[in-house]
Amino acid sequence: MSASSANSFTAELLHRSWLSEKAFEVEISRPPSFPFQPGQRIRFIRGTAERDYSLISAPDSPRLALCVRFVAAGLFSPVLAGADIGTPFNFSGPHGYFIFQPSPRPPLFVATGTGVAPFVSMTRAGLTGFTILHGVRTAAELYYQAEIRVAAGLYVPCLSDVAPESGLPPGAYRGRVTDYLSDHLASGAYDFYLCGRREMVRDVTLLVDERFPGSRVYTEIFY
Amino acid sequence: MKTYVGSGDRGRTSLLSGERVSKTHLRVEVCGDVDELNSVLGAMVAALPEHQGELTEEILRIQADLFHVGAWLATSPASPTLGMLQEIGPEHTKALEAAIDRLEGTLPPLRSFILPGGHPTAAWAHIARAVCRRAERQVLHLATGEPPERLSGVIAYLNRLSDYLFVLARYCNSLHGVPDRIWQK
Repeated sequence: MSASSANSFTAELLHRSWLSEKAFEVEISRPPSFPFQPGQRIRFIRGTAERDYSLISAPDSPRLALCVRFVAAGLFSPVLAGADIGTPFNFSGPHGYFIFQPSPRPPLFVATGTGVAPFVSMTRAGLTGFTILHGVRTAAELYYQAEIRVAAGLYVPCLSDVAPESGLPPGAYRGRVTDYLSDHLASGAYDFYLCGRREMVRDVTLLVDERFPGSRVYTEIFY
Repeated sequence: MKTYVGSGDRGRTSLLSGERVSKTHLRVEVCGDVDELNSVLGAMVAALPEHQGELTEEILRIQADLFHVGAWLATSPASPTLGMLQEIGPEHTKALEAAIDRLEGTLPPLRSFILPGGHPTAAWAHIARAVCRRAERQVLHLATGEPPERLSGVIAYLNRLSDYLFVLARYCNSLHGVPDRIWQK
């Protein structure tokens, strides 16, 4: 089956746990005929409303797991946050082309907030040795940091809203991911994988054009 | 949902295979032509009478095919992304040939050049045909730097699609009782 050909499925909510005040993880049952590659999304469908979420599961996992940012006025996250265990949901997928593509260039993952999700899936699939920047406001939003730290060659939490007197997690940078890239990334060509807020995707892409010619840029934008 | 990102504000864009290129890059130009063709087909569908459901479905299928064509063209050779895309192949071209035969079977034989135009739906089909030919020419330019088999399916598809659109224009005129206007030298 082509990764771009999406089918429709129904799955039950199996588990939910809060990761912070702003985000939670849900697990849903995995339909038997649902293949995906790490980095791909599923699309929840409810009436005429649709919402995409990246999977955080390994491709051989018996359940599908998602990392969801809670938006009080959102179409889906309040539903997922409040649904009873066992509630059925319709979804389509797998969607997207945001998969890891080995190349001679070093891979550099950049995420903001729950945009770390596809990289969690890649990590759970066995990918190691990559550099990853995770941009968040506070350390409470550094979701999945323990398992990412183990797999990554370099893991740099970038905290943008931390008081100067506050301590930082090991290896963390005080500032935005774009500031880190601008100040610390050596010249050269990289494979940039960007997932998260469009402002981050825009700023990093423009920086790549300016400073890192010959790089490739793969994006997954959270609108 | 906001549709703008702004990462192309300085004239560069990303291919599906990740490269950052100028928006004047041939691969971007050809994708633009396919997009223009798809948009003209959309205008044509909008102009079709509601009772032409079968024809509408046929054109919508072609529009969906053109998204696959665009994705294929937006990906550089040897990119692993190609493995995730639907390739346009002989089966798509054969489907067009079957549609051409079906439409042409309802039309009188043509022995002269005709002027593009007639009913608005036919005029849209002629515009689509001309844009399709331009897209085909651009793909041929692109193909000179690529392995010959990489774009052969797309080239054959666009060639046949141009033929389909010519016959479709005649069919639309016939459907609406508008005679084809023969070219007078």
